[in-house]
Amino acid sequence: MILNLNTTAMVKKGIYLLVALMFFSCEKEGEFTRQEAQQQNIIINSNEDLVELYAGTFVPTAGISVTGKAKIYQQGTTRFVSLENFTISNAPDLKVYLSTTAAPDTFVNLGNLTAATTYTIPTQVDLTVFTYVLIHCQQYNHLYAIANLN
Amino acid sequence: MKQTIYILSILGSLSMYSQGCSDAGFCSVGNTFTDELNTSKNQLDFGGIIGGGEADIFYISPYVTYTRNFSESFTMSAKVTYSQASGDFGTRGQFGDAFLTGNYTFKEKKDKTWSTLLGFKFPFTSSNAKINGVSLPLDYQASLGTFDLIAGVGFKYKKWFFNTALQLPVFNNNKNSYFDEYSASNDFSSTNLFERKPDVLFRTTYTIQNNTKFTFKPNLLFIYRLGEDTYENLAGNRTSIDGSDGLTINANLITSYAIAKNKILEASLAFPFVVKEERPDGLTRSFTAGLIYKYAF
Repeated sequence: MILNLNTTAMVKKGIYLLVALMFFSCEKEGEFTRQEAQQQNIIINSNEDLVELYAGTFVPTAGISVTGKAKIYQQGTTRFVSLENFTISNAPDLKVYLSTTAAPDTFVNLGNLTAATTYTIPTQVDLTVFTYVLIHCQQYNHLYAIANLN
Repeated sequence: MKQTIYILSILGSLSMYSQGCSDAGFCSVGNTFTDELNTSKNQLDFGGIIGGGEADIFYISPYVTYTRNFSESFTMSAKVTYSQASGDFGTRGQFGDAFLTGNYTFKEKKDKTWSTLLGFKFPFTSSNAKINGVSLPLDYQASLGTFDLIAGVGFKYKKWFFNTALQLPVFNNNKNSYFDEYSASNDFSSTNLFERKPDVLFRTTYTIQNNTKFTFKPNLLFIYRLGEDTYENLAGNRTSIDGSDGLTINANLITSYAIAKNKILEASLAFPFVVKEERPDGLTRSFTAGLIYKYAF
Protein backbone atom coordinates (compact mmCIF):
# COMPACT_ATOMS: atom_id res chain seq x y z
CA MET A 1 0.00 0.00 0.00
CA ILE A 2 2.83 2.36 0.94
CA LEU A 3 4.59 1.44 -2.27
CA ASN A 4 1.44 2.21 -4.27
CA LEU A 5 1.06 5.61 -2.62
CA ASN A 6 4.71 6.43 -3.30
CA THR A 7 4.34 5.37 -6.88
CA THR A 8 1.21 7.45 -7.37
CA ALA A 9 2.92 10.47 -5.84
CA MET A 10 5.91 9.98 -8.12
CA VAL A 11 3.74 9.72 -11.23
CA LYS A 12 1.82 12.87 -10.17
CA LYS A 13 5.08 14.75 -9.67
CA GLY A 14 6.26 13.55 -13.05
CA ILE A 15 3.07 14.80 -14.71
CA TYR A 16 3.34 18.22 -12.99
CA LEU A 17 6.98 18.47 -14.10
CA LEU A 18 6.04 17.57 -17.65
CA VAL A 19 3.24 20.16 -17.78
CA ALA A 20 5.64 22.80 -16.42
CA LEU A 21 8.22 21.89 -19.02
CA MET A 22 5.65 22.14 -21.82
CA PHE A 23 5.89 25.90 -21.51
CA PHE A 24 9.66 25.87 -21.49
CA SER A 25 11.74 26.67 -24.50
CA CYS A 26 15.16 28.21 -24.77
CA GLU A 27 16.66 30.62 -27.26
CA LYS A 28 20.14 32.11 -27.55
CA GLU A 29 21.45 34.10 -30.52
CA GLY A 30 24.46 32.95 -32.54
CA GLU A 31 26.79 34.22 -35.23
CA PHE A 32 24.09 34.20 -37.94
CA THR A 33 21.28 35.57 -35.81
CA ARG A 34 22.77 38.51 -33.93
CA GLN A 35 20.21 41.23 -33.36
CA GLU A 36 22.43 44.00 -34.76
CA ALA A 37 22.87 42.09 -38.01
CA GLN A 38 19.10 41.85 -38.48
CA GLN A 39 18.77 45.62 -38.29
CA GLN A 40 21.28 46.30 -41.06
CA ASN A 41 19.91 47.83 -44.24
CA ILE A 42 21.19 47.70 -47.77
CA ILE A 43 24.26 49.93 -47.97
CA ILE A 44 23.56 52.85 -50.26
CA ASN A 45 26.52 53.97 -52.34
CA SER A 46 26.66 57.75 -52.19
CA ASN A 47 28.62 57.90 -55.46
CA GLU A 48 25.75 56.46 -57.48
CA ASP A 49 22.38 58.04 -58.15
CA LEU A 50 19.49 56.64 -56.16
CA VAL A 51 16.39 56.57 -58.35
CA GLU A 52 12.91 56.23 -56.92
CA LEU A 53 10.93 53.97 -59.27
CA TYR A 54 7.60 53.41 -57.52
CA ALA A 55 5.82 54.30 -54.29
CA GLY A 56 2.61 53.35 -52.54
CA THR A 57 0.92 53.94 -49.20
CA PHE A 58 0.07 50.96 -47.02
CA VAL A 59 -3.60 50.19 -46.41
CA PRO A 60 -4.46 47.74 -43.63
CA THR A 61 -6.81 44.76 -43.87
CA ALA A 62 -9.63 44.33 -41.35
CA GLY A 63 -8.54 44.58 -37.73
CA ILE A 64 -4.96 45.54 -38.54
CA SER A 65 -3.16 48.78 -37.81
CA VAL A 66 -0.53 49.96 -40.29
CA THR A 67 1.18 53.24 -41.24
CA GLY A 68 3.86 54.20 -43.76
CA LYS A 69 4.85 53.83 -47.37
CA ALA A 70 6.56 51.29 -49.59
CA LYS A 71 9.02 52.72 -52.10
CA ILE A 72 11.13 51.00 -54.72
CA TYR A 73 14.57 52.38 -55.47
CA GLN A 74 17.23 51.49 -57.97
CA GLN A 75 20.91 52.13 -57.59
CA GLY A 76 23.09 50.75 -60.36
CA THR A 77 21.72 47.26 -60.97
CA THR A 78 20.35 46.84 -57.45
CA ARG A 79 16.66 47.37 -56.82
CA PHE A 80 15.12 47.27 -53.39
CA VAL A 81 11.92 47.87 -51.46
CA SER A 82 12.17 50.48 -48.73
CA LEU A 83 9.58 50.70 -45.95
CA GLU A 84 9.38 54.30 -44.80
CA ASN A 85 7.75 55.60 -41.59
CA PHE A 86 6.44 52.09 -41.30
CA THR A 87 4.63 50.56 -38.31
CA ILE A 88 2.32 47.54 -38.18
CA SER A 89 0.43 45.40 -35.64
CA ASN A 90 2.48 42.62 -34.10
CA ALA A 91 2.28 39.18 -35.69
CA PRO A 92 4.37 36.02 -35.47
CA ASP A 93 5.50 35.42 -39.05
CA LEU A 94 5.19 38.50 -41.24
CA LYS A 95 6.75 38.46 -44.72
CA VAL A 96 7.31 41.13 -47.34
CA TYR A 97 5.88 40.11 -50.72
CA LEU A 98 5.97 41.72 -54.13
CA SER A 99 2.72 40.68 -55.75
CA THR A 100 0.89 41.00 -59.06
CA THR A 101 -2.42 41.66 -57.28
CA ALA A 102 -3.66 42.87 -53.91
CA ALA A 103 -3.82 39.23 -52.74
CA PRO A 104 -0.91 36.82 -52.11
CA ASP A 105 -1.59 34.62 -55.14
CA THR A 106 1.27 35.35 -57.54
CA PHE A 107 4.13 36.84 -55.59
CA VAL A 108 7.82 36.92 -54.78
CA ASN A 109 8.74 36.41 -51.14
CA LEU A 110 11.35 39.03 -50.15
CA GLY A 111 11.85 37.52 -46.70
CA ASN A 112 10.89 38.11 -43.09
CA LEU A 113 9.71 41.53 -41.98
CA THR A 114 12.46 42.53 -39.54
CA ALA A 115 13.86 45.67 -37.99
CA ALA A 116 15.61 46.33 -41.31
CA THR A 117 13.67 48.62 -43.64
CA THR A 118 15.12 47.60 -47.02
CA TYR A 119 14.62 44.36 -48.98
CA THR A 120 16.52 43.41 -52.14
CA ILE A 121 14.44 42.56 -55.21
CA PRO A 122 15.68 39.59 -57.29
CA THR A 123 16.93 40.71 -60.72
CA GLN A 124 14.40 38.65 -62.70
CA VAL A 125 11.34 40.35 -61.13
CA ASP A 126 9.44 42.50 -63.63
CA LEU A 127 8.24 45.55 -61.72
CA THR A 128 5.67 46.41 -64.38
CA VAL A 129 3.89 43.16 -63.41
CA PHE A 130 4.58 42.99 -59.67
CA THR A 131 2.86 46.19 -58.68
CA TYR A 132 1.93 45.58 -55.05
CA VAL A 133 3.90 45.30 -51.84
CA LEU A 134 2.11 43.06 -49.34
CA ILE A 135 2.76 42.35 -45.69
CA HIS A 136 1.56 38.81 -45.15
CA CYS A 137 1.55 36.44 -42.20
CA GLN A 138 2.65 33.17 -43.76
CA GLN A 139 2.17 30.99 -40.69
CA TYR A 140 -1.55 31.78 -40.42
CA ASN A 141 -2.04 32.74 -44.07
CA HIS A 142 -3.41 36.15 -43.19
CA LEU A 143 -2.86 39.31 -45.23
CA TYR A 144 -1.99 42.33 -43.07
CA ALA A 145 -1.32 45.29 -45.37
CA ILE A 146 -1.31 46.27 -49.03
CA ALA A 147 0.58 49.03 -50.85
CA ASN A 148 -0.36 49.64 -54.49
CA LEU A 149 2.75 50.91 -56.27
CA ASN A 150 2.46 53.82 -58.68
CA MET B 1 14.15 -16.26 -15.01
CA LYS B 2 11.68 -13.47 -14.47
CA GLN B 3 14.55 -11.03 -14.35
CA THR B 4 15.98 -12.38 -17.58
CA ILE B 5 12.64 -11.98 -19.28
CA TYR B 6 12.35 -8.49 -17.88
CA ILE B 7 15.78 -7.49 -19.14
CA LEU B 8 14.99 -8.89 -22.57
CA SER B 9 11.75 -7.00 -22.66
CA ILE B 10 13.36 -3.74 -21.63
CA LEU B 11 16.08 -4.18 -24.18
CA GLY B 12 13.48 -4.32 -26.85
CA SER B 13 13.23 -0.59 -26.53
CA LEU B 14 15.68 0.55 -29.13
CA SER B 15 15.97 4.16 -28.24
CA MET B 16 18.31 4.80 -31.08
CA TYR B 17 17.89 8.10 -32.83
CA SER B 18 20.51 8.67 -35.42
CA GLN B 19 20.76 10.37 -38.75
CA GLY B 20 18.09 8.59 -40.67
CA CYS B 21 15.34 8.65 -38.14
CA SER B 22 12.32 10.71 -38.97
CA ASP B 23 12.18 11.49 -35.30
CA ALA B 24 13.10 9.94 -32.00
CA GLY B 25 9.78 8.20 -31.62
CA PHE B 26 9.73 6.49 -34.97
CA CYS B 27 13.17 5.03 -34.45
CA SER B 28 12.15 3.53 -31.14
CA VAL B 29 8.89 1.98 -32.28
CA GLY B 30 10.39 -1.35 -31.25
CA ASN B 31 9.75 -0.30 -27.71
CA THR B 32 6.25 -1.60 -27.45
CA PHE B 33 6.87 -4.62 -29.61
CA THR B 34 8.46 -6.50 -26.74
CA ASP B 35 7.01 -4.85 -23.68
CA GLU B 36 4.49 -7.61 -23.37
CA LEU B 37 7.22 -9.61 -21.65
CA ASN B 38 7.35 -7.04 -18.91
CA THR B 39 5.87 -8.46 -15.74
CA SER B 40 5.09 -5.03 -14.27
CA LYS B 41 1.98 -3.03 -15.02
CA ASN B 42 3.68 0.32 -15.57
CA GLN B 43 7.01 1.54 -16.85
CA LEU B 44 8.62 4.95 -17.00
CA ASP B 45 11.65 5.68 -19.19
CA PHE B 46 13.75 8.81 -18.82
CA GLY B 47 16.19 9.20 -21.68
CA GLY B 48 18.79 11.68 -22.80
CA ILE B 49 20.46 11.60 -26.21
CA ILE B 50 23.29 13.73 -27.49
CA GLY B 51 24.32 13.95 -31.12
CA GLY B 52 26.39 15.81 -33.67
CA GLY B 53 24.90 17.00 -36.94
CA GLU B 54 25.61 18.91 -40.13
CA ALA B 55 27.42 22.29 -39.85
CA ASP B 56 28.70 21.28 -36.40
CA ILE B 57 25.30 21.40 -34.76
CA PHE B 58 25.19 19.75 -31.34
CA TYR B 59 21.95 18.20 -30.10
CA ILE B 60 20.60 17.37 -26.68
CA SER B 61 17.34 15.44 -26.81
CA PRO B 62 15.73 14.26 -23.60
CA TYR B 63 12.47 12.33 -23.56
CA VAL B 64 10.10 10.56 -21.21
CA THR B 65 7.95 7.53 -21.98
CA TYR B 66 5.15 5.97 -19.97
CA THR B 67 4.07 2.44 -20.85
CA ARG B 68 1.03 0.67 -19.46
CA ASN B 69 0.51 -3.07 -19.82
CA PHE B 70 -3.23 -3.61 -19.99
CA SER B 71 -2.86 -7.36 -20.45
CA GLU B 72 -0.25 -9.91 -21.48
CA SER B 73 -0.95 -9.02 -25.08
CA PHE B 74 -1.82 -5.34 -25.13
CA THR B 75 0.30 -2.35 -24.12
CA MET B 76 0.07 1.37 -24.76
CA SER B 77 2.83 3.96 -24.59
CA ALA B 78 2.92 7.73 -24.45
CA LYS B 79 6.15 9.52 -25.22
CA VAL B 80 7.15 13.19 -25.17
CA THR B 81 10.37 14.47 -26.76
CA TYR B 82 12.35 17.68 -26.34
CA SER B 83 15.21 18.81 -28.55
CA GLN B 84 17.83 21.53 -28.24
CA ALA B 85 20.15 22.35 -31.13
CA SER B 86 23.25 24.56 -30.87
CA GLY B 87 25.31 25.85 -33.78
CA ASP B 88 26.16 28.97 -35.80
CA PHE B 89 22.55 30.14 -35.69
CA GLY B 90 22.60 30.01 -31.89
CA THR B 91 20.75 27.70 -29.52
CA ARG B 92 17.09 26.79 -29.82
CA GLY B 93 15.29 24.26 -27.65
CA GLN B 94 11.62 23.26 -27.65
CA PHE B 95 9.32 20.36 -26.99
CA GLY B 96 9.13 18.29 -30.15
CA ASP B 97 6.46 15.64 -30.47
CA ALA B 98 4.13 13.43 -28.50
CA PHE B 99 3.72 9.79 -29.53
CA LEU B 100 0.83 7.56 -28.59
CA THR B 101 1.27 3.93 -29.59
CA GLY B 102 -0.57 0.69 -28.96
CA ASN B 103 0.97 -2.73 -29.34
CA TYR B 104 -0.68 -6.11 -29.60
CA THR B 105 1.41 -9.28 -29.26
CA PHE B 106 0.19 -12.66 -30.35
CA LYS B 107 0.91 -15.81 -28.36
CA GLU B 108 4.32 -17.36 -28.85
CA LYS B 109 4.40 -20.50 -30.99
CA LYS B 110 7.56 -22.57 -31.39
CA ASP B 111 9.85 -19.68 -30.35
CA LYS B 112 8.13 -17.37 -32.83
CA THR B 113 6.22 -14.29 -31.73
CA TRP B 114 4.36 -11.84 -33.93
CA SER B 115 3.24 -8.41 -32.87
CA THR B 116 1.56 -5.38 -34.40
CA LEU B 117 1.76 -1.70 -33.64
CA LEU B 118 -0.41 1.31 -34.35
CA GLY B 119 0.49 4.81 -33.28
CA PHE B 120 0.16 8.51 -33.86
CA LYS B 121 2.62 11.38 -33.65
CA PHE B 122 1.45 14.84 -32.65
CA PRO B 123 3.82 17.81 -33.06
CA PHE B 124 4.12 20.49 -30.38
CA THR B 125 5.49 23.03 -32.86
CA SER B 126 4.89 24.09 -36.45
CA SER B 127 8.63 23.87 -37.15
CA ASN B 128 9.06 27.63 -37.52
CA ALA B 129 11.10 28.54 -34.45
CA LYS B 130 13.24 31.65 -34.99
CA ILE B 131 16.05 33.49 -33.21
CA ASN B 132 15.83 37.31 -33.27
CA GLY B 133 13.28 36.99 -36.05
CA VAL B 134 15.63 34.93 -38.24
CA SER B 135 14.05 31.80 -39.71
CA LEU B 136 15.95 28.65 -38.78
CA PRO B 137 16.56 25.55 -40.92
CA LEU B 138 14.87 22.32 -39.94
CA ASP B 139 18.10 21.16 -38.31
CA TYR B 140 17.26 23.58 -35.47
CA GLN B 141 13.58 22.66 -35.18
CA ALA B 142 12.39 20.26 -32.50
CA SER B 143 9.68 18.78 -34.72
CA LEU B 144 8.89 18.53 -38.42
CA GLY B 145 5.38 19.72 -37.64
CA THR B 146 3.53 16.76 -39.12
CA PHE B 147 0.74 14.64 -37.63
CA ASP B 148 1.75 11.09 -38.52
CA LEU B 149 0.25 7.64 -38.49
CA ILE B 150 2.66 4.86 -37.52
CA ALA B 151 1.81 1.23 -38.27
CA GLY B 152 4.11 -1.75 -37.96
CA VAL B 153 4.68 -5.47 -37.57
CA GLY B 154 7.25 -7.25 -35.44
CA PHE B 155 8.59 -10.79 -35.51
CA LYS B 156 10.74 -12.40 -32.82
CA TYR B 157 12.52 -15.70 -33.31
CA LYS B 158 14.87 -16.87 -30.56
CA LYS B 159 17.60 -14.21 -30.33
CA TRP B 160 16.55 -12.38 -33.48
CA PHE B 161 14.01 -9.61 -33.68
CA PHE B 162 12.76 -8.03 -36.89
CA ASN B 163 10.34 -5.20 -37.24
CA THR B 164 9.04 -3.07 -40.02
CA ALA B 165 6.92 0.07 -39.84
CA LEU B 166 5.42 2.80 -41.97
CA GLN B 167 5.37 6.45 -40.91
CA LEU B 168 2.73 8.27 -42.91
CA PRO B 169 2.22 12.03 -42.56
CA VAL B 170 -1.57 12.52 -42.55
CA PHE B 171 -1.68 16.24 -41.83
CA ASN B 172 1.10 18.72 -42.46
CA ASN B 173 1.40 21.72 -40.16
CA ASN B 174 4.95 22.61 -41.14
CA LYS B 175 5.18 26.41 -41.34
CA ASN B 176 8.95 26.64 -41.63
CA SER B 177 10.13 29.77 -43.46
CA TYR B 178 13.85 29.16 -43.99
CA PHE B 179 15.28 30.30 -47.34
CA ASP B 180 18.83 29.48 -48.31
CA GLU B 181 18.73 32.59 -50.54
CA TYR B 182 18.27 34.93 -47.55
CA SER B 183 20.52 33.09 -45.11
CA ALA B 184 24.01 33.87 -43.92
CA SER B 185 24.72 30.14 -44.12
CA ASN B 186 25.22 27.95 -47.18
CA ASP B 187 24.90 24.68 -45.29
CA PHE B 188 21.14 24.13 -45.48
CA SER B 189 18.50 23.73 -48.18
CA SER B 190 15.49 26.02 -48.36
CA THR B 191 12.62 24.44 -46.45
CA ASN B 192 9.92 27.11 -46.62
CA LEU B 193 6.54 25.37 -45.92
CA PHE B 194 8.29 22.00 -46.08
CA GLU B 195 6.39 18.83 -46.88
CA ARG B 196 7.94 15.46 -46.16
CA LYS B 197 7.16 12.11 -47.73
CA PRO B 198 6.45 8.83 -45.84
CA ASP B 199 9.18 6.60 -44.46
CA VAL B 200 9.40 2.82 -44.32
CA LEU B 201 11.54 1.35 -41.57
CA PHE B 202 13.06 -2.10 -41.26
CA ARG B 203 15.18 -3.16 -38.33
CA THR B 204 16.98 -6.35 -37.46
CA THR B 205 18.32 -6.96 -33.97
CA TYR B 206 20.36 -9.72 -32.37
CA THR B 207 20.52 -10.21 -28.60
CA ILE B 208 23.69 -11.27 -26.80
CA GLN B 209 23.34 -12.02 -23.14
CA ASN B 210 26.37 -13.17 -21.18
CA ASN B 211 24.93 -12.95 -17.71
CA THR B 212 21.86 -11.61 -16.01
CA LYS B 213 23.29 -8.10 -15.51
CA PHE B 214 24.56 -7.11 -18.96
CA THR B 215 22.90 -7.52 -22.31
CA PHE B 216 24.09 -6.32 -25.73
CA LYS B 217 21.86 -5.67 -28.69
CA PRO B 218 23.60 -4.76 -31.93
CA ASN B 219 21.11 -3.82 -34.61
CA LEU B 220 20.78 -2.36 -38.07
CA LEU B 221 18.08 0.11 -39.01
CA PHE B 222 17.07 0.69 -42.63
CA ILE B 223 14.90 3.69 -43.44
CA TYR B 224 13.62 4.44 -46.91
CA ARG B 225 12.06 7.81 -47.78
CA LEU B 226 9.42 6.98 -50.37
CA GLY B 227 9.57 10.22 -52.34
CA GLU B 228 11.28 13.56 -52.63
CA ASP B 229 10.44 16.16 -50.01
CA THR B 230 9.17 19.51 -51.28
CA TYR B 231 9.15 23.18 -50.27
CA GLU B 232 7.57 26.39 -51.49
CA ASN B 233 10.11 28.55 -53.33
CA LEU B 234 10.41 32.37 -53.39
CA ALA B 235 7.71 32.60 -56.04
CA GLY B 236 5.31 30.45 -54.03
CA ASN B 237 5.69 27.39 -56.25
CA ARG B 238 6.06 23.92 -54.72
CA THR B 239 9.47 22.50 -55.60
CA SER B 240 10.94 19.00 -55.17
CA ILE B 241 14.26 18.65 -53.40
CA ASP B 242 16.45 16.42 -55.56
CA GLY B 243 18.08 13.55 -53.70
CA SER B 244 15.91 13.83 -50.60
CA ASP B 245 14.39 10.39 -51.18
CA GLY B 246 16.11 7.04 -50.75
CA LEU B 247 17.83 4.85 -48.22
CA THR B 248 19.54 5.50 -44.93
CA ILE B 249 21.18 2.74 -42.90
CA ASN B 250 22.09 3.17 -39.25
CA ALA B 251 24.20 0.90 -37.06
CA ASN B 252 23.39 0.83 -33.38
CA LEU B 253 24.71 -0.88 -30.28
CA ILE B 254 22.72 -1.00 -27.09
CA THR B 255 24.23 -2.05 -23.80
CA SER B 256 21.96 -2.62 -20.88
CA TYR B 257 22.69 -3.07 -17.20
CA ALA B 258 20.13 -4.35 -14.71
CA ILE B 259 20.49 -2.27 -11.56
CA ALA B 260 17.67 -4.09 -9.84
CA LYS B 261 14.76 -6.29 -10.73
CA ASN B 262 12.71 -3.31 -11.86
CA LYS B 263 15.42 -0.81 -12.81
CA ILE B 264 17.54 -0.78 -15.94
CA LEU B 265 20.24 1.57 -17.15
CA GLU B 266 20.78 1.50 -20.87
CA ALA B 267 23.42 3.09 -23.10
CA SER B 268 23.19 3.32 -26.88
CA LEU B 269 25.58 4.39 -29.60
CA ALA B 270 24.42 4.90 -33.17
CA PHE B 271 25.75 6.24 -36.44
CA PRO B 272 24.67 6.18 -40.10
CA PHE B 273 26.86 4.60 -42.76
CA VAL B 274 24.56 5.03 -45.75
CA VAL B 275 22.86 8.41 -46.12
CA LYS B 276 20.64 10.18 -48.61
CA GLU B 277 22.14 12.69 -51.02
CA GLU B 278 20.08 15.53 -49.51
CA ARG B 279 18.70 15.73 -45.98
CA PRO B 280 16.61 18.90 -45.83
CA ASP B 281 14.52 17.48 -42.98
CA GLY B 282 17.41 18.27 -40.65
CA LEU B 283 17.93 14.68 -39.57
CA THR B 284 21.65 14.86 -40.19
CA ARG B 285 23.14 13.38 -37.05
CA SER B 286 26.52 11.82 -37.69
CA PHE B 287 26.38 10.03 -34.35
CA THR B 288 24.17 9.78 -31.30
CA ALA B 289 24.85 8.55 -27.80
CA GLY B 290 22.04 7.90 -25.37
CA LEU B 291 21.56 7.06 -21.74
CA ILE B 292 18.20 5.82 -20.54
CA TYR B 293 16.90 4.96 -17.11
CA LYS B 294 13.95 2.59 -17.01
CA TYR B 295 11.78 2.01 -14.01
CA ALA B 296 8.97 -0.52 -13.78
CA PHE B 297 6.34 -0.47 -11.05
